[in-house]
Amino acid sequence: MKFLPQDQLEAFLSHLAESAIVVAPQRDQDGVLFFQPWEAGAEVEFEQLLTRQSPKDYVFRQTETYLKFGYEMKGKAAAEEEEVGKKSKEGELAAAEEAPPEGEEPAHEVLQVEAVEDAPEQVIFGLRPCDARGYYQMDQVFGGYGGFYYDPYYMAKREATTLVALTCAQPWSTCFCTAVYGSPSGTDGVDLLLTGIEGGFTAEAVTERGEMLLGFGGFTEVGDGQADAAQTVKDEAFTAIDPPFEIEGVPQGLRDNFEDPAWHDLHMRCISCGTCTYVCPNCYCFNITDEMVEKSGERVRTWDNCFNPGYTLETSGHNPREQKFARFRNRFSHKFSYYPEKYDSLLCSGCGRCIRYCPTKIDLREVIRTLGQPHPDQAAPAEDGEAAGVHAQTGEDL
Amino acid sequence: MAKKRDKTRPTKDQAAPAETQKKARTQDATDQPAGNGGNHVGRQAPEIHNPVKTGGVQSGGRQRLTRDDIKPGATIAAARNAAGNPYLPEPATIVEIVPETHNIKSFRVRFDDDQVMENFSFAPGQVGQLGIFGVGESTFAINSSPSNKDYLQFSVMRTGEVTTALHNLSVGDKVGVRAPMGCGFPVDEWKGKKIFYIMGGIGSAALRATIHYTLEHRADYDDITILYGARSPDDLTYKYDIDDWMARDDLNAVITIDREVPGWDKRVGFVPAVLEEEQPRPKDTIAITCGPPIMIKFVLQSLEKLQFTDDQIYTTLEKRMKCGIGICGRCNMGPRYVCVDGPVFSMAELRELPDEM
Repeated sequence: MKFLPQDQLEAFLSHLAESAIVVAPQRDQDGVLFFQPWEAGAEVEFEQLLTRQSPKDYVFRQTETYLKFGYEMKGKAAAEEEEVGKKSKEGELAAAEEAPPEGEEPAHEVLQVEAVEDAPEQVIFGLRPCDARGYYQMDQVFGGYGGFYYDPYYMAKREATTLVALTCAQPWSTCFCTAVYGSPSGTDGVDLLLTGIEGGFTAEAVTERGEMLLGFGGFTEVGDGQADAAQTVKDEAFTAIDPPFEIEGVPQGLRDNFEDPAWHDLHMRCISCGTCTYVCPNCYCFNITDEMVEKSGERVRTWDNCFNPGYTLETSGHNPREQKFARFRNRFSHKFSYYPEKYDSLLCSGCGRCIRYCPTKIDLREVIRTLGQPHPDQAAPAEDGEAAGVHAQTGEDL
Repeated sequence: MAKKRDKTRPTKDQAAPAETQKKARTQDATDQPAGNGGNHVGRQAPEIHNPVKTGGVQSGGRQRLTRDDIKPGATIAAARNAAGNPYLPEPATIVEIVPETHNIKSFRVRFDDDQVMENFSFAPGQVGQLGIFGVGESTFAINSSPSNKDYLQFSVMRTGEVTTALHNLSVGDKVGVRAPMGCGFPVDEWKGKKIFYIMGGIGSAALRATIHYTLEHRADYDDITILYGARSPDDLTYKYDIDDWMARDDLNAVITIDREVPGWDKRVGFVPAVLEEEQPRPKDTIAITCGPPIMIKFVLQSLEKLQFTDDQIYTTLEKRMKCGIGICGRCNMGPRYVCVDGPVFSMAELRELPDEM
């Protein structure tokens, strides 16, 4: 562990910026806090706990061109085009059609396809452990863990990315990382963890990459009591979060409650806007579209929103998740039940942005509390205390 | 062709019965390749493992990594090199277009790179993404025979943006193919069993490669029945196959249409009803079905009535897909993705999944 005095912060950022793009929380002209590329002299803001959006965009781009292609005509047809306006040599062309002379290609289309690679070295500085954990959880999906394919676009950027996280000193009321196996000083995905104490930050390397960052000359050895002070910050933050639900059993609970009528009640005020999916540091579903101008084009992938009915709409008109409650159910089930069945984690790191920014005040914690309790006996559901109350209540609403 | 197949896929039918050889020749005649027949004798195809369903648990496969392959840090680069870029379509050219019905065309495509074409292999039942650069990609069953090294066939019904654009293409036009994807049918597990295909409409496309495979390995299987129904005679796909099936005496082909029309000399009736008339015995029989969702639903009911058990029934599903490699998220049924865990599912597997078909 080392110590970075407050007055060395800018020098450290400048040092990092020498060899990489530094991305740090900064206010835009409207005063909204976002992760943005940092330039010397710009003010970095660590006071506000969370940025409006997670920094996932820097590894998993909101819009990313991954393929470029172009068509070109070669051979006879191309020659024909060139001869527009001239007197055509009909006889020769007819002959060429029958048997192209040696060396002359018959008309054909040439297609060029090129994969786009764009993975600059970058340091994401000052992100919170929940956002870092978002990467850690997406890494399993894009990295091919558990028998899946390897995504070269995400992983190239991820490999070129260093995460310098900052311990949360004062969690918000919407924070619930401790309920989903996280912590305000969690290190999943983190390379270097900073913890704000009096006069600066303690710095702990979590990975080799983080260890290298400690080579910067501005770091000092930790002084008396500084390590303890950092530990106190961590402990206080951890205890400040009251886990809103008990995670054990939630994956099974969601499976058991798949047909529960409470889904119909809870989803009602959802307007399918997708804000929760866009602000989420874990949501990774995407769409692929082609864009074409004349003879050249691009294949683009963009963040998608699983609440959009078109997300699963098939060309025949059939839609496996036609109703909104089914799409609503799929998102929570994916995060807390489907994903953990395949990977070693949950697809939620407890940042609480979805709660904070939902325009209709849908609360993930409420959904999980209501539907994440396993049925003790599936044949006779809603018999135990809490679950029975909830179900009776929603039953009335229906 | 049969001889070449035996080199890469050694099976018990090294000494193929006469009818299989005859079949192979017939196929040569009907599936006439446009390109060079490909005398690639002597070249060794690389080991490509095409995953198939084995006892309901998927096995690993081409470009698919296990948890052990990827550990954060050191091995990532190695894994990437091994995996390649699964998003990059292989450029291919349409060599032949076969009109099947008023709205279905079969596209026969060859990879532009001969080496890729030669090394390509797939398990019957696997699918591919066929796309036009500038329009997009869609998922279709590869319905040419796995032994066909000259082209891949995809049958496309004109319905949406990509399929309409595909229908507007001509021979010689360029497409992009990402294949094979998903898991095929466990044809090896079925050896020695009776095979009963039940298909309706365009569902035939999803089973055609498997039918070809089982017919080419005819000696490995007991009785084979193909029950195929369509709305009208004009809606029947692969009429060239049907003629061949009717002519063969080593399989039972039952062709049915929904309503009587003048001149029709085969069966009339909906597929589930005809299935019940046929009364296949469940003992040592595998039933494989594909068709419109409503047909599948009633076929499953009929099979239950006939006392088929869940592990004797297989189907292959379709969903809207984008990435085709289990990442983009939309083709899931519960925790399973149709693109990588399917499209082939046994009824036993489907029972475990939420009903989001």
